[in-house]
Amino acid sequence: MARADTLARARTLDRPELAYLVRFPTADGIRDMELTWAELTRDTAWVTARLREHGLTAGQRALLTTSGFEGFWGHAVIGALRELKVTYGIAEAMGWDHRRTSVFHRELDPHAVIGLSAETLEGLAGAADLGDMFRSTSLVLARPAAVPILRGVGVSACLISAVGPALALECPERCGAHVNGAEWRVGEREDGQLYVAAGEGRASLLPETPLGIAGRVATGRCACGSEDPRVLLGDANSPYSARS
Amino acid sequence: MGGDRDTGDRYFEPQVETMPRDQLRARQEERVVELVEYAYGNSAFYRELWDEHGVHPRDIRCLEDFRARIPFITKDMVRAHRARTGDPFGGLLCVPVEGLTSVSSSSGTTGDPEFFAEIWEDAPPLVTAQVRDLWELGLRPGDRVLSPPGTFRNLMDPGYQALGAVVIEVDTWLGKMSEVVDALRTYRPAYLQMMYPQMVELEHLAEKTDLKEAFSSLKGASCAGQPLSRKMRERIRDDWGIDVYEYTSAADTGTAWECREHDGFHLWEDTVFAECVEVDEQGGWRDVPEADLGELVATDLDNRAAPLIRYRSEDLVRLSGDRCGCGRTHARMWVAGRRGDETLVQGRSVVLRDIWQAVEDQPETASGVFQIVRDRREVDELRLRVGYDPGLTADVDVLAGRLGEAVRERTGVKPVLDMRTEEDLLKTMTSVAKFPRVVKS
Repeated sequence: MARADTLARARTLDRPELAYLVRFPTADGIRDMELTWAELTRDTAWVTARLREHGLTAGQRALLTTSGFEGFWGHAVIGALRELKVTYGIAEAMGWDHRRTSVFHRELDPHAVIGLSAETLEGLAGAADLGDMFRSTSLVLARPAAVPILRGVGVSACLISAVGPALALECPERCGAHVNGAEWRVGEREDGQLYVAAGEGRASLLPETPLGIAGRVATGRCACGSEDPRVLLGDANSPYSARS
Repeated sequence: MGGDRDTGDRYFEPQVETMPRDQLRARQEERVVELVEYAYGNSAFYRELWDEHGVHPRDIRCLEDFRARIPFITKDMVRAHRARTGDPFGGLLCVPVEGLTSVSSSSGTTGDPEFFAEIWEDAPPLVTAQVRDLWELGLRPGDRVLSPPGTFRNLMDPGYQALGAVVIEVDTWLGKMSEVVDALRTYRPAYLQMMYPQMVELEHLAEKTDLKEAFSSLKGASCAGQPLSRKMRERIRDDWGIDVYEYTSAADTGTAWECREHDGFHLWEDTVFAECVEVDEQGGWRDVPEADLGELVATDLDNRAAPLIRYRSEDLVRLSGDRCGCGRTHARMWVAGRRGDETLVQGRSVVLRDIWQAVEDQPETASGVFQIVRDRREVDELRLRVGYDPGLTADVDVLAGRLGEAVRERTGVKPVLDMRTEEDLLKTMTSVAKFPRVVKS
């Protein structure tokens, strides 16, 4: 097959260890950080475990709404869905693309919707009852500003959010979004702002970096069994992602 | 042009890209014969259609049989199957849904989006078929690329990364061009994907920013979604110093890119069997000579999920199998437009190109942001929605009068104009891939 041959040829290239240069907002402006293939593999494994906890399993379908510049976590989520053998549909997280989200949701009847933004919900609300639409969806992982909207209409949404260069994912207990403690150190400063720092295993150094966003971090064992720290955002309209 | 470019290893898969056409034809024939049997055995849509036409895979032993016996399909036929059966894939699917890796879709600017079923390993199909094109553009391991604006045909990053490129995460959607220029200066990427509205935005930035310097690290940039006008292309190439590579859809089987010769769009004929035909009202058809325009009809040769077979694209193209100056043997096409884009105003034919020229000729509307508004092809009046640059427009009514006259001179029809700011008009876009030139309302 032609494409398979192309990719076989590509695998012979001498490729760099680096997959992404991740840019993210901090209290002091945009900064960047390298993301290697080895780290992306570990991140994917972590997301796979989190999605498995949510009950995602082979043969199910998911809908992912994301943007082109969110590959550093989108890649890990897609890798996890592939690992779990969950077929995914994909639509933009921008509000104007809400129609495609609606069609995917109607036609694919996904078990999980991942990455819903407030802008998408705003668009959908013009033609649909959000509660009716998503209450029957087993897993809804929504962005910070979308979570309260969904919970307000009776949808048991969980949070998914970039926290600087890290990804935070809420478990079924819904008591804060877990960040991979083996890779990242997250905490709160005296002024109530969150910070993030790279763990020792990350190739690129990231010292404690204030993110300019209010929040708390819960430590200790979660009821789900995870020891990963949990981020509780204080401001739903966080700058963590351009698509809130 | 800016950026270094290694010209010593131009072909990513030299044996395939420069394969003699008779070998390419033999490969296509082998694949087509397998495909017909596969599709008949696994797709409800094809089995039903071919049974209706009295065609069975055993009848198809060569390309001549295939072309003589297998009927054309259209988007409307797939939509009708979808509406009748409730199957979101219109009966095209050849594997269980659980066997798919992903599902992407068309932009859905003219109706419900059509789904594209995908099975893949390292990278999604659309971007994988672009790897050879990106190599031709000059992309090499270790180069940096800016992330594309959208994900509408799946996450593109794995394709770039298959070539060893490092993706820099930058929001390149509308309203972000100033940040994009900053990122270009900081990260010195070799490649970025651009869309028409971004170029309109960059044009405004050009007045206060040295874009040539900002873009100087690029080996090339690609642009898709709609053809660039001659003026826009000159601005990008001459004023901004970008070697811009346009690409277009290969009738939904993949994409077709310009090579460095910039003389037509290469189809990768190991992935698509392309025909250029004229179809009459009764369904009869004939091949058009190479120099003439015809409709592109495509057959997927590398799609086990939901192949399109003899799919009428509605794209009007000229197709040539002549060897390109780049040395590649795969056919090239030149796109003239879409069937149905022509508007009949009280019986008089009006084509996009003539309107475009008139719009671009006015300094205030030089970016060429316009749409024809019509609910059917035959109309009593030509309604145009045109975007203007407020910074250059002293009096909108005066502009409208001048523009209306320019359109009348080129088309013979006096238009009814709805003048909007460029920004307002571009904000109506509902796709990262397409700024629709013909809209219903």
